[in-house]
Amino acid sequence: MLSLKGIHKSFPGVNALTDMNLDVRSGEIHALVGENGAGKSTLTRIIAGVHQPDSGELSFDGRAVRWSSPGEAKKAGIHVIYQEFVLFPHLSVAENIYIGHERRNRLGFVDHRRTRRDAAELLARFGLDMDPAALVQDLSVADQQMVEIAKALVHDVKLLILDEPTAVISGPEVDVLFRRLRSLRDAGVAIVYISHRLEEIFALCDRVTVLKDGKYVATREIGAVNRDDLISLMVGRSLSDLFPPRRKRSDEGEVVLDVRGINVPGRVHDASITLRAGEITGLAGMVGAGRSELAFAIFGALKTSAGQVLLRGRDISNVTPARAIREGIGLVTEDRKGQGLAMQLDIAANVTASTISEVSRFGLIDRRREEEIARGEIANFRIACRGPATSVSLMSGGNQQKVIVARWARTSTEVLILDEPTRGVDVGAKAEIYRIIQELADRGIAVLMISSELPEIVGMSDRVVVMREGHIVGELSSAEISEEAVIGLATHQSAA
Amino acid sequence: MTMAKANQAAPVPRASLTARAPDFVRSYGIFIFLIAAIVVTFAISPAFLSGANVSNMLMQLAPLGIVVIGQTFVVLVRGLDLSVASVMATAAVIATSFGGQNSDAALIFLACIGMGAATGLANGLLVTKRNVSPFLATLAMMIVLQGLRFAATQGAPSGNIPSLFRQLGSATLSGMPYNLLVMIVVAILFGILLHRSAFGRRVYITGGNPVTARLVGIAADRVTILCYVICGSLAALAGLILSGFVGVVDNFVGRGFELDSIVAAVMGGVALSGGRGSIAGALAGATILVVLSNAVVMVGMPVQLQIIVKGLVIIIAASLYVRPARA
Repeated sequence: MLSLKGIHKSFPGVNALTDMNLDVRSGEIHALVGENGAGKSTLTRIIAGVHQPDSGELSFDGRAVRWSSPGEAKKAGIHVIYQEFVLFPHLSVAENIYIGHERRNRLGFVDHRRTRRDAAELLARFGLDMDPAALVQDLSVADQQMVEIAKALVHDVKLLILDEPTAVISGPEVDVLFRRLRSLRDAGVAIVYISHRLEEIFALCDRVTVLKDGKYVATREIGAVNRDDLISLMVGRSLSDLFPPRRKRSDEGEVVLDVRGINVPGRVHDASITLRAGEITGLAGMVGAGRSELAFAIFGALKTSAGQVLLRGRDISNVTPARAIREGIGLVTEDRKGQGLAMQLDIAANVTASTISEVSRFGLIDRRREEEIARGEIANFRIACRGPATSVSLMSGGNQQKVIVARWARTSTEVLILDEPTRGVDVGAKAEIYRIIQELADRGIAVLMISSELPEIVGMSDRVVVMREGHIVGELSSAEISEEAVIGLATHQSAA
Repeated sequence: MTMAKANQAAPVPRASLTARAPDFVRSYGIFIFLIAAIVVTFAISPAFLSGANVSNMLMQLAPLGIVVIGQTFVVLVRGLDLSVASVMATAAVIATSFGGQNSDAALIFLACIGMGAATGLANGLLVTKRNVSPFLATLAMMIVLQGLRFAATQGAPSGNIPSLFRQLGSATLSGMPYNLLVMIVVAILFGILLHRSAFGRRVYITGGNPVTARLVGIAADRVTILCYVICGSLAALAGLILSGFVGVVDNFVGRGFELDSIVAAVMGGVALSGGRGSIAGALAGATILVVLSNAVVMVGMPVQLQIIVKGLVIIIAASLYVRPARA
């Protein structure tokens, strides 16, 4: 049905995929698994014609193909269902299914009766029990997802790719989705199913392909592997020497930040975590597990509905970010451009952004002092640039990230939270950022490092806390930390 | 391939030359454009640069320039203020509501600035605390002020403005209009505020990215509100000066200034998306508008053509600032 052989794809500075293979048969549900950054989304985009491979063979339906646009792949029968739905809530199921392909009568007006009839037929043909007249806004999320899938079925779909379809649904809805996916499979549609949740893969899929670091690892019949096999296929790699040497810690630092049972409605549930001086605490979990939200809540950028945040015993729950900064807390956000940098300003202005009043006298900015500070940080963090007046928009991701870390290193005297500190950063800058984080911890700052990259979590953390679906589900002491242990905690499906 | 590049998250360092060329156009293009406009008009009609005509243009520039300075603050924080013309007219009406004596001047001045500041405060509160779009909030304030004026004047304002304001609005000091001096002082003061002060830095960070601003501890709402207050106050000042220039006061002094001031700021490189632009650029934009209105008359263009040409030039100037699509 679909076969990829020796696919290479690189973006400037990164090899996204090297020697990638995939073989999907018609009438099977094929799982695609791998850590974040393993190359699943790049692979999906190549199959769907969003990206073109640099080299390698892609064949579909027995013919070698080379998509020049997503539209071409779609015409050939490949459809991708992303996590976000593109539905019109106030329209009916039938109207949504035929959006853009309205059933018309002879006068060119929309034929509502025909729309409904065709939709009912379509749904019945694929065994989807759903009322075509129902309004989308009244449907459960799982049913909305089926409408999204049904939109693809209007066309002659041969291959359906689902990207983390269960990230937005839960419990009984998952069972409904699975039942419907199986009836699609039995109707002859090939399905590629991407998920982090290994239980689902065992429950639903026929075969599984594992990716790691942009490379093909293995394809297995689902009956021929167990959970542990899969995890070791996904992880099995030796730690690189990116990380600064571990130092021996003679004693535990004192507790700096004590978070007690905080709640962010819909995001974080009853989370407790303690950070100690001089310690790097890794916060692991899958994307969407509530890690960033927990960080935002500590920093005062998200309101908590319950619980306490204690800084050296003082309650700082629900303060503003401005106050959190004054208390010596810093937050390096995950989204560099959207939440971290003032892109149109220069390095100096970005470094001092959280301490503007400190570099001002009588309300006027002391530019000389500001540039002096920036020059110091440029040297300290080895930021490649032409000087403090370089616009950050001209810099590489790694250097931009150093500018942000430099900003927060200046004000974070107690706690520094880093959310995915090395995302989109090249290897050299990565090592540099790790060194800086270690130095900050050595200075006695309590560091909380959120990361989806397991080697990073394992290589850097003195202690690892794992979140899943908004809850803190476990803590690993220094001796217990391993990629297997972290991934086990992060993916384990709760009994409920 | 191009698609793949556009989807790439990590920015590729651009060659310095290609990156700097658009920067240069963005920073200085408006001044080059202004000089070109002046040279061309002068070539066609030498009288354009006669002392009397220059003085006339500068006198027209002052009220618009003062409004543009205020408008720049608001546009920098991703807003726009449609109420400025209404604030100007209201200031003019206030100026006639006293006895017309010079001894009332200080009182009139304070009342006008207070009215402008209050309008800005209302605009700012609506935009930040109630999340009303700047377009609607300032449009509503424009109408509210209009209604208040009609109620207060019974439709036809009467009375005189103190001669001091008339002097300020229309007299010259050996060719240099007093009102231009006021504009220059305002430009210097607010230029320092915007480009050198801590507040100005907060304006740029807030306008560039309100989320970042909040996360670095800036009270983004307060900064935004202050920008509207500055804009309202300066509009009131401009209204006072303009009423002194035209001499007669009606309910619509300053008509058209809301759009002219926005156009001038945008032509001068102040980005409607916020966070980019300077007072000098915005004032150059205002100067172009004034020069253009004057030039089409001076070169003897038919009235019907004048407006079309003005529109076309605005389109050309504004399109210079469209940021190049991401490589």
